[in-house]
Amino acid sequence: MLLKDVPENPKCFAEERKDFTCFWEEDEERAGSVDQYSFTYTYQNEKSNRCPLRTLRAVGGKRLFVCHLNRTQMFVQMDIQVHREEMLIFNRSLLVELVFLLDPPANVTVSRPGQQGQLNVSWVPPPLKYMDDSMMYEVSYATADSHMWQVEVAKASSKMILRGLQSGTNYKVRVRVKLDGISYNGYWSAWSDPVYMETLPEELDLLIVSLTIIISLILVVLSLTLLLYHRRFLVKKIWPNIPTPDGKFQGLFSVYGGDFEEWLGQSNGGLRLITAVLSSEESPSSLEVLSEFSLLLSSPPLPPKASRALISGRENDRNGKKGMNGRQQLEKGDSAPTEGWRAPQHDQWLMGCLRALHQDSSQSSLLESQDAYVTLNANNYSNDDHLNDILEETSPLGVLFASRKTVSCESHSDLGSVQQSSGSGRLSSQSSFEYPNHAWVPKGPGYTYMAVADSGVSMDYSPMSRADDIGKMVIYANDYKNEIPAHRRPFLPRQRPVHEDDS
Amino acid sequence: MEFPRLLTLLLIVLEWTRPGLLSPLRPICDLRVLDHFIKEARDAEVAMKSCREGCSLSESVTVPQTRVDFDVWEKKIALEKAQEVQIGLWLLKQALSLLRTSVTNTALHGHIDSSIRNLLSISAVLRSLNIQEFTPPDSATGLEGTWTVSSSTDLLQVHVNFLRGKVRLLLLDAQACQQDVS
Repeated sequence: MLLKDVPENPKCFAEERKDFTCFWEEDEERAGSVDQYSFTYTYQNEKSNRCPLRTLRAVGGKRLFVCHLNRTQMFVQMDIQVHREEMLIFNRSLLVELVFLLDPPANVTVSRPGQQGQLNVSWVPPPLKYMDDSMMYEVSYATADSHMWQVEVAKASSKMILRGLQSGTNYKVRVRVKLDGISYNGYWSAWSDPVYMETLPEELDLLIVSLTIIISLILVVLSLTLLLYHRRFLVKKIWPNIPTPDGKFQGLFSVYGGDFEEWLGQSNGGLRLITAVLSSEESPSSLEVLSEFSLLLSSPPLPPKASRALISGRENDRNGKKGMNGRQQLEKGDSAPTEGWRAPQHDQWLMGCLRALHQDSSQSSLLESQDAYVTLNANNYSNDDHLNDILEETSPLGVLFASRKTVSCESHSDLGSVQQSSGSGRLSSQSSFEYPNHAWVPKGPGYTYMAVADSGVSMDYSPMSRADDIGKMVIYANDYKNEIPAHRRPFLPRQRPVHEDDS
Repeated sequence: MEFPRLLTLLLIVLEWTRPGLLSPLRPICDLRVLDHFIKEARDAEVAMKSCREGCSLSESVTVPQTRVDFDVWEKKIALEKAQEVQIGLWLLKQALSLLRTSVTNTALHGHIDSSIRNLLSISAVLRSLNIQEFTPPDSATGLEGTWTVSSSTDLLQVHVNFLRGKVRLLLLDAQACQQDVS
């Protein structure tokens, strides 16, 4: 019995508009006969009345005492008293319209609407006049084989739509009712008998299917269009062209099947082709010996200072970095006099010049041996002044790098003095050795030059370079602080003219 | 030919300018209005029950009887029901006004004021439903269907029960609302 939840005794409830029932239970052993009890009720401001009791046997060895009233008054306080042989055992005050216990809703029907996952539930409310709009309902549903009930509440309505259900599943639905508690109140009714119904089976939504088809068609068309548009690009990426020599050798593979000799012999066009191929390389140019410096030992010996400087310079060069950062190395020789300072510069520079030729100390031997250098100079000088300067230098050790640009070199004839022109790329080095007058005619620009050193045993050539490549020969870089040219040819140190004292 | 047009124009203009003072009120058939009043009356009753000081009636007041026997109620005619309700509302207004002056607890003043306001609103609702008004008698004592209460809690309890019972049943039965409800 649901009223076991009610703590007060006796337990009372109103059923219909007028019916009112109160009861309580006692143990069989302690219960007396029904005559011993009296049930008295009193409405507010009225006389009290008695209610006839009857007894019922209940389960568990209990006895029920029941009072039933056919007519009740609502909206007025009712005081109840139960006496057992003049002794008050129960006392309770209540309002009848607040203790309604209704029958469960009848005719619960469940139907399937057109949509998936939904069920329509409808029922007939209890036939209570004046209270239709005061009722609230609970609809409980679960799948047929589970006990997890879900609850939905409906107020003042006798139907409900259940949503969010699984498709093609059997559901059970039950309903119960209660008064809403504003004007009337009561307890929840018992659940109605469950009704079983299966939801609609799952079906493909036509709209979704058609939309999916349309979108996939659009995507396919787009991708095909892209593929066709970039067909060539894609083909190149996937199947790249394997280069074959067919292009260069016309007819070699197609006509002669790869037989090169035959192809050569048969076709003049092949020769032409060869020359065309080879012409991409540099054509050899005639070698012209422009000047030859030979060293005369009869000339005054190397000034000890200079030789010392030379040695020290060499040492510096060996110790330090290989002449590339000339500034630091030059500074190591600070102790040496100015001219000596310049000598290592010259020394390094020469070493740098011949670096491609020698990697060992044979350089120094070269220098000491005062080899003759052959300069190839195809540049034409426009400045005769400079030319005169060069002539004045008359140094056996002279490597001239001619260029288009102006040269600022100055003459002098000391070993220790090495003059190197600025950024024009024209380097002129001189030694202090006496040198017979020689004519040295530099050619115009655009010619390739190289330095050749002939030690009598071997001839060494500096790497060929064009005139306009002079500025790019980094291996001869010798930064000289004061003389760095404005246009930053890094490797072209320029030395101030040194006025040596011939010592 | 001009005359029908002028007449039509005249009728249209008269229709617009029809005096609105005599137009009937729109019937208020939604009982949620009354439910709201009932809830507020219940809150007042609860507040009064928890009051300890300064919340007593200075004198006994006459209040309407709240009991309803459905069989008896159904047999009554509409006029009787209306009369009962209207007199009861009048009595309650008097009683609550007296309570307002009697109670010194300021926390309860708000509740009592809203209850009085709600009673006036209910009278307006009844007017909208064309329920006949009754002029109150000179003396409230000796009226049929009345009680006398002396405590403030009893007064507010009667107030709640009256609204829940007779007033609500009268509104449910109102003829003006019967056409709307099928």
